[in-house]
Amino acid sequence: MKFEDTSQNLRSRLWIVQSLILLMLALLGVRLYYLQLVRGQYYAEIAQNQRIRLLPIPAPRGDILANDGKTALANSSPIYNVILSREDLRDRKLISLAKPLAEALAVDGDILLDRFEQIGSQPAFESILVKQDASPGDIAWVEAHELEFPELRVEQQPQRRYPASGMLAHVLGYVGEISPEQLKQPNYKGLKPGDVIGLSGLEQTYDDYLRGKDGYRKVIVDSRGRIQDEIETIAPQPGQDLVTTIDLDLQNVAEEQLRTSATKRGVIVALNPNNGEVLALASAPTFDPNLFSRIGTKEGRAEYVAVLNDPQKPLINRAVQSRYPPGSTWKIPMAVAGLEQGAITLDDSNLVCGGGIMVGNKFTRCMGNHGTPDLKTAITKSCDGYFYRLGLKMGLDGIMTMVDEFDLNKRTGIDLPNEVLNMTPSRELKKRTQGENAEWKDIDTVYASFGQVYDVITPIALLRTIAAVANGGKLYVPHLLKELRPVGEAGAPDYRPGRSFQPLDSTRPNPKVLPIPEDIHHLVVEGMWGVVNNGGTGAAIRMAGFDIAGKTGTAQVVGLGKDVGKNKDHSWFVSYAPAYQPEIALVALIENSGFGGQHAAPAVRRVYDVYYRKTRNAEPPGALPVAKTPKPENKTPVKKPETQIAQTAANH
Amino acid sequence: MVAMIQKRGLRDFDWLLAFLAIGIVGFGTLQIRNAQPTENYWVKQLIGLGIAIVAMLLVALNDYRKLINIAPAFYLFGLLLLVIVLIPGIGLRINGQRAWIKVPGIGQFQPSEFVKVTTAMMLARYFGKHRDGVLTLKEMAIGGLILALPIFLILLEHDVGSVLTYLPILAIVIFLSAIRMRYVVGAVVLGVLLLPAAYWVGVKTHLVKNYQQERINVILDPENADRRGFGYNTWQSILTVGEGGLLGADTSAAHSQSSLKFLPEPHTDFIFAVTAGNAGFVGCILVLLAYVILLSRLIAGAKRAPDRMGMLVIMAIVGGLTCQIFINIGMELGLLPVIGVPLPLMSAGLASLIATFIAIGFAISVQLRRFVN
Repeated sequence: MKFEDTSQNLRSRLWIVQSLILLMLALLGVRLYYLQLVRGQYYAEIAQNQRIRLLPIPAPRGDILANDGKTALANSSPIYNVILSREDLRDRKLISLAKPLAEALAVDGDILLDRFEQIGSQPAFESILVKQDASPGDIAWVEAHELEFPELRVEQQPQRRYPASGMLAHVLGYVGEISPEQLKQPNYKGLKPGDVIGLSGLEQTYDDYLRGKDGYRKVIVDSRGRIQDEIETIAPQPGQDLVTTIDLDLQNVAEEQLRTSATKRGVIVALNPNNGEVLALASAPTFDPNLFSRIGTKEGRAEYVAVLNDPQKPLINRAVQSRYPPGSTWKIPMAVAGLEQGAITLDDSNLVCGGGIMVGNKFTRCMGNHGTPDLKTAITKSCDGYFYRLGLKMGLDGIMTMVDEFDLNKRTGIDLPNEVLNMTPSRELKKRTQGENAEWKDIDTVYASFGQVYDVITPIALLRTIAAVANGGKLYVPHLLKELRPVGEAGAPDYRPGRSFQPLDSTRPNPKVLPIPEDIHHLVVEGMWGVVNNGGTGAAIRMAGFDIAGKTGTAQVVGLGKDVGKNKDHSWFVSYAPAYQPEIALVALIENSGFGGQHAAPAVRRVYDVYYRKTRNAEPPGALPVAKTPKPENKTPVKKPETQIAQTAANH
Repeated sequence: MVAMIQKRGLRDFDWLLAFLAIGIVGFGTLQIRNAQPTENYWVKQLIGLGIAIVAMLLVALNDYRKLINIAPAFYLFGLLLLVIVLIPGIGLRINGQRAWIKVPGIGQFQPSEFVKVTTAMMLARYFGKHRDGVLTLKEMAIGGLILALPIFLILLEHDVGSVLTYLPILAIVIFLSAIRMRYVVGAVVLGVLLLPAAYWVGVKTHLVKNYQQERINVILDPENADRRGFGYNTWQSILTVGEGGLLGADTSAAHSQSSLKFLPEPHTDFIFAVTAGNAGFVGCILVLLAYVILLSRLIAGAKRAPDRMGMLVIMAIVGGLTCQIFINIGMELGLLPVIGVPLPLMSAGLASLIATFIAIGFAISVQLRRFVN
């Protein structure tokens, strides 16, 4: 000490101060050791993650094409979305943005609020969709308000487009954002919220192939989420194009027939009986699949709710998701099975019609009195009395064997989602529907033998059955996929090979072969030929030189043959042509329109006309006028309802 | 005579102290540039360094006793500055604190940094008289009053951080002015016991505001704090420091925590985190060592001071500097709540830089005069 130090031990006090300083700085050193050397790796990783962001580049979804391989049925084109970047919102209340944005961009404020609330639980760095398919005006607004709403951004996104008329809507299906439930499923592994997947139709079935693999941009962002630098870009891999088996000419005429039908509800399906390719599949009423991309708007949501609640159920694909009693069309597999099982023989196929049958104390009528017809006549004239007796001869077990042989107790395996299972006769079915104590009786066998009550099947299952009869017993799996086109260079790691149709259930034989002896086949075909060409119930649609073989049917809704207004019977016509060299099989069902020969058959005929012009390059003989509404034709008198069943008590 | 002083001046001038301070500033300027490569803060800092060196020389080559004798004038001038800063239009409001004066040409200027020096001078003058006995209560009260005036004005600026760096100046002066040890021990024990209690009472009575409470919670548990809200600054600072590792982060300068603006105020309050990120553990320890040497050198000077006044003014400066260094780095390492206190010699900022150099000038001046008399 230079100055006189008489105060209390100044030297040791200075020493205390110095020690204290050293201690404080040493503490900082220890803390540095912990942060940088002990935990350094951990913090470095977090620091890196917060500045690196992967921005997905959506992969273009594969197009869906008609069977010419050229015409697009569904494709993707870019639209612009207004999105909100969450990271920019650090000091702004998300909720407070809902109202001004809803007003400025004309979106539903409630939907926006919902979305804002949901996103609260999502991990950071997710952006929020504010408006899909923004108009140029919207984009200009966003750009003009950059200072006011710096967190808004415009992003390009591929948008799926479908024919607006709703054509093929049930076949194509539609796409939409993956749901939280789907995200948990193993087959959607690797997807993230907001990803677009097929939700119905072919879009759903072949989603894996149509959906490409998203690319991404690895970018460096600043604390506000603004992109500063790009580290790498992985280009997206486009999805595979899908060529369908759909023939647009046939599809168009099929849809038109349903549109102009009496009730505007029904199904027409065309099939190549030689390989199971579906050439046309129309289900009416239909819907506009594009509406699912508008669901974020007020109008879009209202539209969606309206479609969802429409009592006519336009979203249902009636060909695979609806079941109807096949009516007299059921007689065709019955005829084949009856012969095969020996209930009748080629030499002696005659059975009594009797104008009906008395079982117990119930009399079940035939629409006419056909004497003792042979099988051919019974098919042609659709004699119920004959088939009542055939059914009784075969017995329930015989009918069940037939059901099994024709795969009618299985789904057809068509490559469309949510196909329903047919209802076919069995003792269990009766118990299930009428109670545990309900025993199978002969009268039940009678009902089961002509396509009512216990027989309830999908149009596609019926068509497959008739196609197998046409080709001599080959039950092909009906399908809409012709080809998935390859993507990329063969041999490259991301190469996706092309692929043709294989049954989705790989254990399923395609075709399942049901050996129908040639003579039996011939006899049944003769009967079906007669329906159209020999004064049968479908004679109205006869085409000279193009042998249509078919069968009419009337599916009971309330009481068969009863005109009960909107609950009239469904009208069936199932057929193929030419009879002895099948090229095309067609089924038509017009809901609640009455007798099959009157409504379904003419609709089918117009599809045949288009097919004939297309394949024969000539006008079809005796083409029906291209009428908008089917009206009584100038041909053999229209049959009256072919059968009538008095299920309650009928003693007369 | 003049020649003798010049000659002796050259010999006794504490070159190590001066160059250590300049070296730290140089290294700090490099980090300021790293923190904001696109801004010209580092250029301003270099200009500031030039002014600061001149100021240091002016103070060092003058007799500190003359300066301390007119300390009341400086003290009053300092208080005037603190009043001026409160006048809207002249005082700039930044982050809710009206602590800056706009100076044309230079930018902004924080008077509280200067007033620290004038207050230290005033305290040294009052307590620097020849001392025979122990410190009286009256002396302590007057010392408290000298400190209370600027603190009161600074509190009006809402600049709590600066206030915290004033307290140790008085504490160290009183400690070295023969306060009874039992008072010191008593105060320490009382502080340790009462601080948590006071905090608890403050929380209950809402005297400690919510945001202040959150800031303290962040320190108690930074991993689980709200990393996007109150904990943001601390969390980002910890990340930046941690990423530095042993020798500095291997991230390009353009992608660093500060360039991407994840780290707030990287050139001022968080300059040490930037340094830690760039220079790693090794660099940080070297910086801490430099501070240790600087402070030790100052204390050594105080021990050799020719009079009590000289000793006190140096030690007051040491107390202020140490406190700032500890609060600032402690905050950046997540040990202390976020308080806007610059790191002496490293943070960008003219006032802090010049005030620190003036303080060092005082220390050099004291040493230069150790053989005079």
